[in-house]
Amino acid sequence: MIGTIFVRIAFAAALAAFLFYLRRQRGGNEKMLVFARASYHTAVVGLMLAFATLLYLILTHQFQYTYVWNYSSTDLPLPLLISTSYAGQEGSFMLWGLFTSMIGLFLLQYTSRKEYEPEVMSVYSLVLSFLLLMLIVKNPFLYIWDSFPADLVKSGPIPAGITNFTILDAGKNLWAQFPVEGKGLNPLLQNYWMVIHPQVLFLGFSSMTVPYALAIGGLLKRDYHSWIRVATPWSVFGAMVLGTGIILGGYWAYETLGWGGFWAWDPVENSSLIPWLLCVASIHTALTQRKSGAFVRTNFALSLSTFMMVLYSTFLTRSGVLGETSVHSFVDPGMWVYWLLLGCIVLFGAIGFGLLFLRMREMPKVPVEHSFFSREFALFLGAAALTFVSIFVVVGTSSPIITSLLKGKASAVDISYYVKTNLPLGIAITLLSGLGQLLWWKTSRATTLARRMAIPAVLSAATTSAVVLMGWEEPLILLFVFCSAFSLFANVQVGYTIYAGNPRYAGGALAHIGIAIMCIGFVTSERYDQKKTVSLEKGTPVAALGYQLTYVGYAPTPEGRYAFQVQVERNGRVRNVSPVMYFSNFTQSVMRHPDLINYLNRDFYVAPLSLEEASDGSSDQQIELAKSTATTIGNVQVTFEEFVIPDGARDAMMGGKPFELRARLSIREGKKKTDIDLLMKGGTSEGPTFVPVTYHSEQGGQYVLTLVRILPNEEDSSKSKVVISVKSSDQHAKPRPETLVIEASIKPFINLVWVGTVTLVIGFLITIFRRSQEARLKNNVDSD
Amino acid sequence: MNVKIIVGAIVIVAGIVLSAVNFVQSNVEYGDFATAAQTGKKIQVKGEWVRDMESRFDAEKAQFSFYLKDDNNKVVRVVLEGARPNNFELATSVVAKGRMAGAEFHATEVLTKCPSKYEGNAEAVKKTL
Repeated sequence: MIGTIFVRIAFAAALAAFLFYLRRQRGGNEKMLVFARASYHTAVVGLMLAFATLLYLILTHQFQYTYVWNYSSTDLPLPLLISTSYAGQEGSFMLWGLFTSMIGLFLLQYTSRKEYEPEVMSVYSLVLSFLLLMLIVKNPFLYIWDSFPADLVKSGPIPAGITNFTILDAGKNLWAQFPVEGKGLNPLLQNYWMVIHPQVLFLGFSSMTVPYALAIGGLLKRDYHSWIRVATPWSVFGAMVLGTGIILGGYWAYETLGWGGFWAWDPVENSSLIPWLLCVASIHTALTQRKSGAFVRTNFALSLSTFMMVLYSTFLTRSGVLGETSVHSFVDPGMWVYWLLLGCIVLFGAIGFGLLFLRMREMPKVPVEHSFFSREFALFLGAAALTFVSIFVVVGTSSPIITSLLKGKASAVDISYYVKTNLPLGIAITLLSGLGQLLWWKTSRATTLARRMAIPAVLSAATTSAVVLMGWEEPLILLFVFCSAFSLFANVQVGYTIYAGNPRYAGGALAHIGIAIMCIGFVTSERYDQKKTVSLEKGTPVAALGYQLTYVGYAPTPEGRYAFQVQVERNGRVRNVSPVMYFSNFTQSVMRHPDLINYLNRDFYVAPLSLEEASDGSSDQQIELAKSTATTIGNVQVTFEEFVIPDGARDAMMGGKPFELRARLSIREGKKKTDIDLLMKGGTSEGPTFVPVTYHSEQGGQYVLTLVRILPNEEDSSKSKVVISVKSSDQHAKPRPETLVIEASIKPFINLVWVGTVTLVIGFLITIFRRSQEARLKNNVDSD
Repeated sequence: MNVKIIVGAIVIVAGIVLSAVNFVQSNVEYGDFATAAQTGKKIQVKGEWVRDMESRFDAEKAQFSFYLKDDNNKVVRVVLEGARPNNFELATSVVAKGRMAGAEFHATEVLTKCPSKYEGNAEAVKKTL
């Protein structure tokens, strides 16, 4: 209850901050600013207290709260217990809100120095208000008896022995029993990734609000240039954090969830990629504006769109609109959340783009002076390509919405769509990220460019040849490798020169190097991977993909799951992998976690598929037989000939009276033909019974045939079918030992992806440092 | 300058047209087994798992097979490249993506839809009292 109050106070305060800031900006007096700041700080404190309350409730296992019951349990270790505070939709909105509110504290300080505070903080407070409104709609502090009144609220005297109750209304004798244990955390989320990944992602989402608010500030103040300087460090910060979050999610999927790769173009993954791409595009066009004053409108549009896409992505993954078209389970959160998210998009889109439209005419038009061979043009093309990638990903991810509007039936696009549309753009982006670094501002001479391109071009041709040696690929993929390598070497070449001059300016080159290394890693690990499904009988070594695999047996893990020990031998060296498989009561299904060996130049990846129990050689199968069509079962051929229906049976069948019916089968074994009748007795209250018939094979062994169901075709009796079950015990069949079925794969040079990620993050960090220093400077001279 | 705009416009229009074609082509439409057999295209079939017919995992081929009844009550054997999908036993409905191969439906992906599987429900509450 106290939590709800904190949330409501925070909401009211954030809304008040918005109104006071708005008053101040409309010419209100100095006092308004004081009120606004006080309100904003109240909102932050309220939200912090609300989050602390939720944490307290989780840590003390207060299962009388629906959220706590729904996502946590007493057996979770502390880090996971803390992570349940954002495992559910309510909690994750709260975390998002919390990060947004805390970033706002920095932004408030920052903008007050720049005399931007009322303009920026008014819209920022409005964003925060909406996040808090979401928490009022999806309240994490709901009592469980309010969620399940029919099951938990009781009246009358409280039976002896029940201690887990609370009295709701003493006068009316109303009381409620509450759970003593929670449902627990989804086992898919029970690993250390859950402790780190969501925070990083939400911190990224939260920081995307800043460029949006600053753009609004710029538009309101008719200051079309200096807002860029203030916004850039935040954009780079957002891109760095969100980018890290995306890759962490990919590694989670690869290492723990067993998706087989780190990227599956899943809606949840896409929804964080879309704003990231736009944010990165805006960083590049901002660079041009700082240099030449061009792209004023583009920069506004991109910064606004980045935040709009954060909202739209949230709408896609949180409103239940994707419904049944993804592997992810998109829980329908109810109409309120749906309309609130949609309202957010409309409102913040209208504010941003409406304002941009109003100011459009008066914005300075900077004549474009640069040539084809200029860094400005390369930056423009690169940003355009990034924007197009994000548009294609938006369209692909929104496919269920688009198709249901156009055709009335929702359907998702195949993964191949993303690869096909984005590959040419990826080629352009990687090429430009190398070329752009080699070009000068304004214009470059073709001869100079050619000279600077020579070494990177030769080295990337060599790299591409090395990749071709691993195997041939589609020309476009190889071109992508070439361009990525070109970007890598061009940026190393340029970056080295920059580093020698001033190491602080090397961030951009380093980030490009990181991306280029990642792109090469994507191709080698995803396109040159080898996969094989292997059945491992216990104790028998099997050769696969150049490794000797031996299934040793399984052992329980501390969490009560089963780890399957597989010895992996190569060139005399033995290592162990232990993929995990177990039945989860939470999801009521088999959970599988892969395991891998990380070599310097590849991963050996083992995904468990199933465990086949030891068997004595007999088998049991159900087979559908179409009329007059022979089906091979073991060493005999079985044909369904006809139904034998005695007189009166049909009427008895219709009338629901007891009846008998036979399906005549013929069994051929070599030249011998035997007819057998499978009897079905129906129309009784205990349901139909089927009488098994045993057929002895000439070659030893026997088949026990039983009718399972009949599929008569009334119009055309030649299309009638029956389903039979066949138990066969072949004397020659060997008993089979316990068998583990796995999918083994080799992911060449996957380490490039991780090395590239780290390089990218370092590049971003250096850039943030440089750009925030510049933003602090008063003069407008750009250093480069 | 004009050249740049023209070149840019051509590239953009060509890109949009190509991706629109791509979007339509790679959109895996819903259908039933009859249309899958007719068109031979990759399609997704929504239906109900026929529980009393054989479903098994073939360890040799690493294929999971089961029988699926589509909305027109046509029952077809579905062969999935891979293991038994998660939550298969709980599924209220099953979506198989793939194409017909002879009398069988060869699926590359099988999605299961479960009755609000991660949301709290009254049954679960009673269990934890």
